[in-house]
Amino acid sequence: MIGKGVFTIVLSLLGFIGPRPLPAHPEAAKKLLVVTSLQDLAAIAREIGGKYIEVFSIAKGYQDPHFVDPKPSFMVKLQRADMFIQAGLGLEIGWVPPLLDGARNPNILPGSRGYVDASKNVPLLQVPTGDPATLRARGDIHPYGNPHYWLDPLRGKIIADNIFEGLARLLPGNKETLQRNLARFKKTIDAKVARWVKMMAPYKGKSVVAFHNSWPYFEQRFGIKVVAFIEPKPGIPPTPKHLVKVIRIMKERRVKVIIISPYFSRKSAELLASKTGASVIELAPSVGAFPEIQTYTDLFDYNLSRLVKAFHGN
Amino acid sequence: MTINLTRLRWPLILGLATFLVVPDSCVRAQEIQPDSLSHGADSVLFEKKLEEELAKELYGGSDTTRSQEAIPTQPQGSPSTLGGILNPRISAIGVFMGSVTEKGAASNVYDAGLSEAELAFQAYVDPYSKADFFVAFHRERQDPFFGPEIEDGSESGYHPELEEAYLTLLTLPYGLQVKAGQFRLAFGRINTFHLHALNYVDYPRMYVNYLGGEGLADRGIGVSWLVPNPLDFYQELSLGVTSGRVESPSFGVGTNSVMFSVHLKNFFDLSDNSTLEVGFSALHGSNDPHNHKTLIGAADITYKWKPLEENLYKSFEWTTEILVSRRNSFVESVTSAAWYSFMRYQLSRRWFVAARYDYSEFPYDDTRNEQAYSLIANFFATEFQKLEVQVQHGVPSGRREFNRVLLRVVFVIGAHGAHNY
Repeated sequence: MIGKGVFTIVLSLLGFIGPRPLPAHPEAAKKLLVVTSLQDLAAIAREIGGKYIEVFSIAKGYQDPHFVDPKPSFMVKLQRADMFIQAGLGLEIGWVPPLLDGARNPNILPGSRGYVDASKNVPLLQVPTGDPATLRARGDIHPYGNPHYWLDPLRGKIIADNIFEGLARLLPGNKETLQRNLARFKKTIDAKVARWVKMMAPYKGKSVVAFHNSWPYFEQRFGIKVVAFIEPKPGIPPTPKHLVKVIRIMKERRVKVIIISPYFSRKSAELLASKTGASVIELAPSVGAFPEIQTYTDLFDYNLSRLVKAFHGN
Repeated sequence: MTINLTRLRWPLILGLATFLVVPDSCVRAQEIQPDSLSHGADSVLFEKKLEEELAKELYGGSDTTRSQEAIPTQPQGSPSTLGGILNPRISAIGVFMGSVTEKGAASNVYDAGLSEAELAFQAYVDPYSKADFFVAFHRERQDPFFGPEIEDGSESGYHPELEEAYLTLLTLPYGLQVKAGQFRLAFGRINTFHLHALNYVDYPRMYVNYLGGEGLADRGIGVSWLVPNPLDFYQELSLGVTSGRVESPSFGVGTNSVMFSVHLKNFFDLSDNSTLEVGFSALHGSNDPHNHKTLIGAADITYKWKPLEENLYKSFEWTTEILVSRRNSFVESVTSAAWYSFMRYQLSRRWFVAARYDYSEFPYDDTRNEQAYSLIANFFATEFQKLEVQVQHGVPSGRREFNRVLLRVVFVIGAHGAHNY
C-alpha cells in the first residue's frame, strides 16, 4: 500500500498523472460537504442533513479528541467544505485553529454562514470558578466547562438544533425536510432516553472509576457516579501514589467497575482491577470508537448495555 | 566535498514540473451544473451564481463609482468595556538552557540560565484577516563550533527582538493567502518553526551555518497558494519577496536588493497512521553591498508514523534535509552543501528518544566542513512543559573534537498554543 502511495507520489510530482475525471454521478457533486471535528457531530449531522449532505469527520471515534494532529490533508478537505461543525469549548483548540487558517475557505471561518459551534445553548457542567490563572494547576482544565457534552443524549438534541440551524442557512429550500428530520431525530432520542433511563434505574447511584473526566454529562443522565479518576488530574498520567488512593476509594465504596476509553493505556486500569477484583470495561467516548457504533443512538446502546452487563456480573 | 550546482537542478525541476502541470480546471468544485439548479440542495451553488451576477451588476464594466465594501465601520458599543473580552490569545514562553562543554571547546565549561522569554499575541483582526505577534527577549549563547575565543555574550543581558509580526489575509479566492510583515521565511522543513518548538536543543548546523543561529526571518510579503491538483493531495506553494536586509551567514546586511524565497510543500497520507511530506525550497538574495548573489536550493523529506488509536503513546518520525548553496563574490563562486537527518521514537506517553546527524560545509568555503552527532531525550510533563537533554559529539572544522551536554526546559503559560504538524 505504501509502495503504491510512493509510486503515485513520484508520478504526480513528475506530472505524469493527468486530471482525474469529474465524478460520474452528478448526484454526488450536488451534496453539501459537511466536515466535523468529531464523529458524534458527523452522526447527528447525517440524521438532519440526510441525502443533502456528505459528511467527513476529522477525528476518529477511537482517537483522543484532545490530541488530533492537524495534518495538512485535512486542510484540503476543509477547503472544499460548505460547512464545518466543532464541539467547541476549547476541546479542539490544539488542532482546529491551524486547520481553519490553512484551509483558505472563508465560508467556514468562525462567524461565517458555514460555521457551527455545536455547544451553543448547551447547559454546561464543571465550568471552573476561581482565578483563571490557577486553572492549569488543576490539570488540563477547559476554561469554558467540561466539553464532553455529547455523551448526554438530551444535550444531543441541542446539538441537533444547532446543526439544523446551520444546514437551514445553507439549504433554505429544504428547510421543511430538515425540520422533519430534526423532529424525527428528537422523537427517536426521547423514546430511547425513556428506555435507557429505565434500563439504568436499578443501577442508580452505582459507583465507578474512570480514566479521564469525560463522563459528567453521561453520569448526570444515567445516574451512575464516577467516584475517582485514574488520572491524578486531567491530562496527567497515573502515578503509583495516586493509584493507591484510588484503590482505597474503590475498597471503601465497593467499586466494581472501571471504565476506560479505547485510546488510553489499559495498564493502570488492569492493575487496579487485579488489586480490587473490579472489572475493566471499554466504553465508547464517541461514535466510531468501535466498528458497531455507527449512529448516535448506537453510542448509548453500546455503552449502556456494557455497563448493565458489568454491574450485573458483579 | 564539492557539489556541483547541477545537483541542485533536480529538486527545482521536480518542483517546477508539478507546479506547471496543474490544470486550472481543478477549481471544478465551484463549477455550476446548470441543470441541477432546480434542486433545493443546490441553493448554495445557486447563490454562488447569483452572487457572480450581482457582482457583475455592481462592479461591472463602466461603473467607476465602485466603493470598497471592506471599509471598517465604527465599532458599536463601548470599546473600553470590551477590553478584557477582546484581548487576543496571549501566551508567554520561557526557555531555560544549561550546558556542560568539554574544557577548551567553549569560553565557559558551564553555562545555564534563562535563554529566552517569548510573548505571543494572536487574534483575528476582522472577518478578513488575523494577526500574529511574537516578541522575544534572548540572551546570546556560546557555540563551541565557533571556538572558545568567541565570547558567549551572555554578560550583555537580554536583547528584545521582534521575531515575527504579520497580518494574514484569510479570505482571498483561489486558495491564496497573503502574509505581510516580519515573518520567518517558508524554507525547508523547520525554518518556520520557533526554536523552542523543535524537539532538539540546538539548531542543526545546516541552519546555523547557512541561515543563522535562529533561522531566517525578514520583512516583506509572502503569498502562498494551495495548489489544486488531480490527486487531491496537499500541495502548497509559497513565495516570499522580502527586504533582503537581514543578517545571516549567506545574505548580507548592507545590500540593496530584495530576497526571494520559494517553498513547495507536498503532503501525503500514506495511511491513517502514516504521512509523508516532501518539500523543495530556494532562496535568492545578495550577500554583499555590491549585489553579489547567493542562491540556495534545498529539499526536505519527513515521514511520520502514529497509530491513531494509540496516538498518546506511540509515534515515530524521520526528517532529512539537504541544502546546496552557490555564493558569488569578487573572487570566486563557492558551491557548498549541508544536510542533517533526524529520527525520533516515542517510548511512552511522556518519553521520546531521538538521534540526529549533521554535516555542514560553509557558504564561503566548500573545502572545510563540520559534523555533529546528537542523542536526545524529551520528557513532556504536560503539553505546557517539556524537558530535554541532548548529548552531542562535535567535530568542528580545524579544531579539536568535543563533547557537550545540553539541557533545556520549555514552559508555556496562557492561551493553549496549537501545535503544527
